[in-house]
Formats: sequence, C-alpha cells, structure tokens
Amino acid sequence: MSKRNNVVLLSSDDDDGSINRSLSSNHCYKTKPKLKNSTTSRRLKKPRLSTSQTRFSILHQINLLDEDFNEMFTGSKVSPDTQRSSTLEQWVDKYKPCSLEELAVHKKKVEEVKSWFEERLKASKGVYKNNVLVISGQAGVGKSAAIHVIASHLGAAVCGWNTPTPVLWQEHLYNSGAGAQYTSKLDEFENFVERIRKYGIISTSFTGESKPSAILLIDDLPMTNGKAAFGRLKDCLQLLVYSTQIPTAILFTDYGNTDSADYNARCLEELQLSLESSGACKVAFNPITTNSIKKTLFRICQMEHRDVSADHVDNIAKASGGDIRHAITSLQFFCLKPNQVHSLSLFTHSPGVLKDECNKPVRSNDGYYLHYGRDETLSLFHALGKFLHNKRETQSSIEYDQDSFLIQERFSRLPLKMDVPEKILCQSHAQPGLVTGFLHENVLDFLDDEAIDDAWTLSSYLGDADILLAKLRGMLSSDSDTGSVLQSAAASVAVRGVLFGNSQPLSSRWHTIRRPQLWHVEKASLHKKNEMLRLRFPACKCLSSYHISVMATEYMPISKLLGNRACGVYHEPHQELLKNMDMEDVGFDQMSLYEQLETSDDDIEDW
Amino acid sequence: MLWVDKYRPKTLDHVMVHDLIAQNLKKLVTEQDCPHLLFYGPSGSGKKTLIMALLRQMFGPGAEKVKVENRTWKVDAGSRSIDIELTTLQSANHTEISPSDAGFQDRYVVQEIIKDMAKNRPIDTKGKKGGFKVLVLNDVDKLSREAQHSLRRTMEKYSAYCRLILCCNSSSRVTEAIRSRCLNVRINAPSEEQIADVLEFIGKKEGLQLPSGFAARIAEKSNRNLRRAILSFETCRVQQYPFTSKQAIPPMDWEEYISEIASDIMKEQSPKRLFQVRGKLYELLINCIPPEIILKRLVYELLRKLDDELKHEVCHWASYYEHRMRLGQKAIFHIEAFVAKFMSVYKSFLIATFG
Repeated sequence: MSKRNNVVLLSSDDDDGSINRSLSSNHCYKTKPKLKNSTTSRRLKKPRLSTSQTRFSILHQINLLDEDFNEMFTGSKVSPDTQRSSTLEQWVDKYKPCSLEELAVHKKKVEEVKSWFEERLKASKGVYKNNVLVISGQAGVGKSAAIHVIASHLGAAVCGWNTPTPVLWQEHLYNSGAGAQYTSKLDEFENFVERIRKYGIISTSFTGESKPSAILLIDDLPMTNGKAAFGRLKDCLQLLVYSTQIPTAILFTDYGNTDSADYNARCLEELQLSLESSGACKVAFNPITTNSIKKTLFRICQMEHRDVSADHVDNIAKASGGDIRHAITSLQFFCLKPNQVHSLSLFTHSPGVLKDECNKPVRSNDGYYLHYGRDETLSLFHALGKFLHNKRETQSSIEYDQDSFLIQERFSRLPLKMDVPEKILCQSHAQPGLVTGFLHENVLDFLDDEAIDDAWTLSSYLGDADILLAKLRGMLSSDSDTGSVLQSAAASVAVRGVLFGNSQPLSSRWHTIRRPQLWHVEKASLHKKNEMLRLRFPACKCLSSYHISVMATEYMPISKLLGNRACGVYHEPHQELLKNMDMEDVGFDQMSLYEQLETSDDDIEDW
Repeated sequence: MLWVDKYRPKTLDHVMVHDLIAQNLKKLVTEQDCPHLLFYGPSGSGKKTLIMALLRQMFGPGAEKVKVENRTWKVDAGSRSIDIELTTLQSANHTEISPSDAGFQDRYVVQEIIKDMAKNRPIDTKGKKGGFKVLVLNDVDKLSREAQHSLRRTMEKYSAYCRLILCCNSSSRVTEAIRSRCLNVRINAPSEEQIADVLEFIGKKEGLQLPSGFAARIAEKSNRNLRRAILSFETCRVQQYPFTSKQAIPPMDWEEYISEIASDIMKEQSPKRLFQVRGKLYELLINCIPPEIILKRLVYELLRKLDDELKHEVCHWASYYEHRMRLGQKAIFHIEAFVAKFMSVYKSFLIATFG
C-alpha cells in the first residue's frame, strides 16, 4: 500500500511516509529486515516495501538530477554495507522513461491511454461512469512505466496498491509471538478498495495541498487460491469498477498462450473479461517492436558511454521477445562483464597484465557465446504442428564422411528443418501423456494415403511411448526422478517415432489439430462401467456377481434384444441413469479445451 | 428373472455339467477340512455356480441370504490414507468381492478386508463346523502382482479364521505361491453336447417344443459358453416361438460390429481407413467391451477371411500386440498398431499376388 509522487514533486515526500505508516501499520516492521537487499533488486515496478518509500523517492529524484552523483549517493546512503552496488545499479531503473518521447510503447497506445486519463482528470466528478482502464500486455512492455510517465505528464499523482510481501510461515510464527495479527492479503486488498471507493485517495495528509488530480494504479492483484477467494477478488474489483470516482488503471500481465493451461492465468483472463463486461475500458499493449527496443538500447549505450556494436544490440533486441525490461537488463549484463572483472582485479593485478587476460575470453567467445536471449517458449499447438508437419530439407546436405556410420536406405531420413525434438518438447512444457495423446489423434491426417507401412511404424512407436508411460503408474510418486526420466523418454519416443515414421511427409496444408478423442472415450466408458456396476447386482439376483466384461459382452446386448422383458428387470435404475447421462453429455460439449485437459487428466488418474 | 439365474443349480447335487467335480467338492466339505480353493476355467463354464452351491453345502440355506453393500475402507498407505470403495456381497458366513475393481490399489483392499474379517470372527455357538468365514475373491488373475503377494502373506497369517475361494479365468496369471497354497479346481468349458442337454432340460421345464438339432445349433454358436447359450436360447424364445429349425440365432451386437470392422479392414488399407477403424474401436471401448476380447474377436474375424499363407504372421502380430497391450495402459494404441500392421502385411500380400 504505497503512495508515490511523480518525480517533479519534491515536497510531498514527508506525506508519503506518514500515509504509509498510517495505512499499513500491520506489516511495517516485518519488512524492515529485507530493506537492504532490496535496493539492488529494485526493478521498473515500484518497490513493494512501504516503509522504504521515503528513501527511495529521494533516491529516485536525485537519480535524475545527476547520475554520477547518484551513484556515489546510493552507494553511501541507501546501502552503506554494499559498496559494489554503485556499479550494479540497474539500468532499468536508472533509465526509466521520464517523458512521453522516451517511452518505447507504441505512440498510438500511449496517446489512447493519455487521452483517456486526460478526459477523466479534466471532467468533474460523475461525468464518466466508467473510471477504470484495464491495461494488459505481456511482461516488460512498459505498462506501469507508461502510466507513470503519463501521470507525470498530466501532473497527476499516482497512487497505487502494491501487493505487500507475502508472510512466510516462520515469519508468521515470529510475528504472532510478538503479538502482531496476520491479515490475509486479500482482506487487505478488499479494505483498500473499500476505502478507495468510499473516500477516494484524498486522505488526511492531502487536504492542505493543492493537488487534486490523482490516478489510482493497481499493479499487482493479490494472489488467489481456490474458487472462493477468486470470487471475492472478482466481486471486489467489479465493485471498484462500478463505483470508483478516481481514474483507475488496473494492470494485467499476460502470460502468453504457453501457460494458459495454468489455473492462475486462466483466472486472470476471466477476471479481465468480467471487468470489461462491467464497463471497464481495455487497452492491450503489444510486445515492443525490435526497432524501438534498439532505439532505447542505443540511447542507453550513449548515455553510459559504452561502445556496443550494432550487431549485439540487434541480437539483444531480437532475443528479448518484446520485453524491454529484459532487453535493458541483458544489455547491462553484457556491458558489465568485462568491466567488472577489470575493476575488481585492479586491486590485485597490475593493469598491464590484466587487460589481455580479461579481454581474451570475451573476445574469443564473442561469436557464439552470447547468452542474452531468454528461453523461448512454444505453445503446445505450435510444437505439435512442427512434429506433425515434419518439415525436412529437400535433399540431404550431409556428405557421408568416414566417421558417420552408414544407415540402410529405409532407415535414413532427410535432416529435420527444426531444432532437436527434445528441445521443442522442453520449450513447449507439455506433459508427455498429453503430447502422445495429441500426436496419436492427429498424426494419421498427415500421412500419405498410400503410406500404410508408415502408419504401422508410427503407431508402433506410439505404443512404445504408451508402455513407457504405463510403467510410471506402478511407481506412484515414490521415485520422482526415475519417473521424470521415463516420462521424457516416452515423449521423446513418441515424437521421434512420429517424425521417423512419416517417411514421406505431405506437403503442408491446413489441418486443424483436434483434441484427443480418447479422453472422451475414456470418460464415457468409465461412465458406462459405473452404470453396469450398478446394474450388476439387480441383474444377478443377489446370489453372486458377474464380472464387468461378462456384463458388457453378454448381459447388456441380450438385455437389449430381450427388450421389454429385460426392461422389467432393469427398469428402475435405468431411468435415473439416463437422466444422469444426459446431463453429463451436455456438460461435455460445453467444456472448453482446457477444462477438458484438466478433467480428463483427473479421470485418468482415478482410473 | 432370466433363465440363466432361474435354472442355476442351487445345490451340488443338482449340478448337471460338472457333476463329478461337484461330488468331490461335497465330499471335501463334509469331511470338515476345507482348504483354500482356486477355481479356474473359461468364462461361462460354471465356476460361480459351483462356488455358490459349495457355500450352500457348507453353511446351509443361510448362505443365500446375501446383502449388497457399498463399503469404504480407509487404508493407511505410508504417508497418506486412501479411501477405497468397493461393493461387496455378504452373508453371515461369507463375503464376496472383486478386488480388481479397486484398480491399482487392490493390494490394500485384499489385506484390509481379510484383516477385517479375521477381527469379526463368527462366534461358534454350536461347537460344530464353522469357526471360519469364507472370502470369495473374483478375478484373482486381474490382481496386480503386489496384491497377489500381499494375498499370499495374509493367507498364511489368517488361515485359522478364514478360507479363501479364489476364482479366475486363467491360472497362469496367478502366482505360483498362491496356486500352491490352494486346492486347484479346473472347470472345463462344457462340451457342446452338455450344453445341448442343459438347453433341452430348460426347454422341458419351460414346456417348450424344441425342433431337433435346435439346441445343438445354439450350443455350437455359443462358443462353449453355457451362460451365453442359455441367454441366446432365451432371446430366441422371445423373438420367435414356436421355434423353427431354421431360426436365426441372434449374434451379439458387438460381435457383428467387429466383423464389420474386419471387412472394412479387408476392403481398404490406408491411413484414412485406419482412422475410421479407430473411431469404431472407440465405440466398442465406450461400451466397455474389454480390449483383449476386441482384439481376439477381430483376429478371429480376420483369419476367417484370410489366405492361409498369411495366417501365421497375423497370429504372431496379434499376440505380440496383445502382450504390449497388457504392458501399456491405453489399449487403443496397441489395437490400432495391430490393425496398421495387418493392413501393411495384407497390402503387400495383395500387391505381391495381384500386382
């Protein structure tokens, strides 16, 4: 629960402190011990430590006045115990955009957000019904930076909710020993929203000042666990949308498609939708273009007086995937390496020797050893597409030299036009069972009509994968290491089997990828089995019970043939079952893919 | 009540098919020393009937007063406790369960139930026979290896309190240790003549006129499965009476479906057809037809239409994939692999023969 002014205003610092103290008294002291570490790990987002606010804002303001001075200043004042931090200060914070021009976000988006705030700040209360703006975008596209810059441009104060640091169990034990109450973060958030709705942000300390305009920024939403908590959060936010008087920005971080099977990500999506439906405006920030990242990077290089070649900047920008924060950090890291070694060794070695020493590895590694990329992720469907389409070079470019062992012609395939399959699997974060299921369902579509031999090879390999996965069941959770090895082996066998088996890949055309029908089959047969189990005892008149296979292969068909007579026997439970069946079927169709994923997985576990 | 149940022999004396075994069992029980028993034999041969009659011999008519109960066992499995739900059939003196219904948690069930029974030992008031309960375990061959091991231990530990009657289709999947602790009783599939006799007996009791050879025809179709023979006999009665000697004996719907699949496979061999076949196989699986039976029947249908030259190879692959099916968990993968293999073999055969 912090309150922070934009950079221009020096005078309201004291207020900040007092507000913080009054608003968040219950978790003040427990965050104190962390204060020192946090100076180095500060990021573009505003610090989450409320009591440290005053110091930070001082730091930040001076930061802009004079960088060199600032370096010394932070080194001496804020973290006197960590001398190194002067060089380690994050460029992300140092070169935070402070004008609209510096913002790397697309101009039109910025304009859109700006005009939205402008209108609402100028208009008197109650003109606009919707005072909430939802900004979404993946991590590091400058959502919060944009809000801050726009606010400072409009001369408004940004007031925000930042998630308080979570309380660890040990901490809690310690706190409760000291008499402090624990409040759930969700409760705190609810209180906060309640207060905002009722009183606005003009709290006591503001009364004397001529500072009417303020923007409410909700950056981190409290984590919710479980349906009930999520529902509370949703209601609370909706209330905010309906009744807030202050222009409010709520930031959502998209996690991309890759993680969308994740429960939390789905919750966020749902939350966004519910906010929109209750009247909030929505602006989606796209990943930042490579060009504007490059521009920013060059600007920073200039200001830091670093000479980084255009190639490197280009690589960094490309590898960042539109995440400018990441790009800046990797630039800093890239620039830092040689120099830090330099400065450290200054104390131990004579300068002449050292220069050669420390520049060597960097230079020699330059060409291929640059790790400024972050791990790419692929969506499941993307990965599946790669495997199924099975794109290969048109002709073998490999000459058989003496070292490579010769393969019979029927086993040799053209080189793949993709990464190693295991790497793709790794990037897609998919469960082996899932991959196998999807491959099994879809692979036949990608086969040539004549290629029944290939179909056999394929399905045989998929069977191998299934056997590997089945081995896992017996072990339960006792052997997680072996389990994961088995799992990845299974996925690898499945994928490579599919790639190898499809010896004459079709030229690619559009195919939709279906979700495995097998899930439906498993579910339906389970249902049927239960139905039969219930029929089993009436059917055999309580003397003994039949096995389920006997029921399925003999009793059920016969009872169908016998028609009325048998119906007399089975009448009662049957009606009920039919009803159940209907209801479940409806549920089936409505289920979205992801729910399907989840439920059927569960079923398989229970089986 | 279906005829199968109505004409099920109630006592060992009334047993028609395995009368010799029945007499032996009777002697065994009257001598008061009942070992653990293991009944095995194909489906529909009369294992259950014999067991029920045996129980009645042991405990009198009281053994027929059974109640169905859904019981939940709380089992302590290492770090966590699991709830396992099973349906049991219970009388005062015996309990019948199919532990394999519990899936891979079956080993807990077996131990837990036997312990439970041992705790609630029946009080022997008359000082006569008894003093032990009987636990009937169905489908012992479907039990996991661990479960069979735990069964072996409990068999020894609690043998003073309870007798086990195990029942399964094939003794080959029951561990040696268990087999050697039981008296093994093999129940053959009844011969076609025996089945025809039973059908005629039922016909007489029901007051039906059977054309000559009709019972024999049903028996022939029944695949030496008495239960199935009686069921189809009843179906024929419902469909058409008086019987005619040419009357069609209705096949099981799933068998027809499989023969349809077989002719699909014979007609065209392509990935597209394989995909259609998969859809049909799914249909069968949804109806809970066990995958082993599907595969077996499919091979049977395919072999009927096949050139002799290929039969050996096809059988080889069928058994290969059946084995893999048991190792794996998703049967469809393996059935489909078999179908693909068959298509591939058959297609190359066609090309070789006809060009």
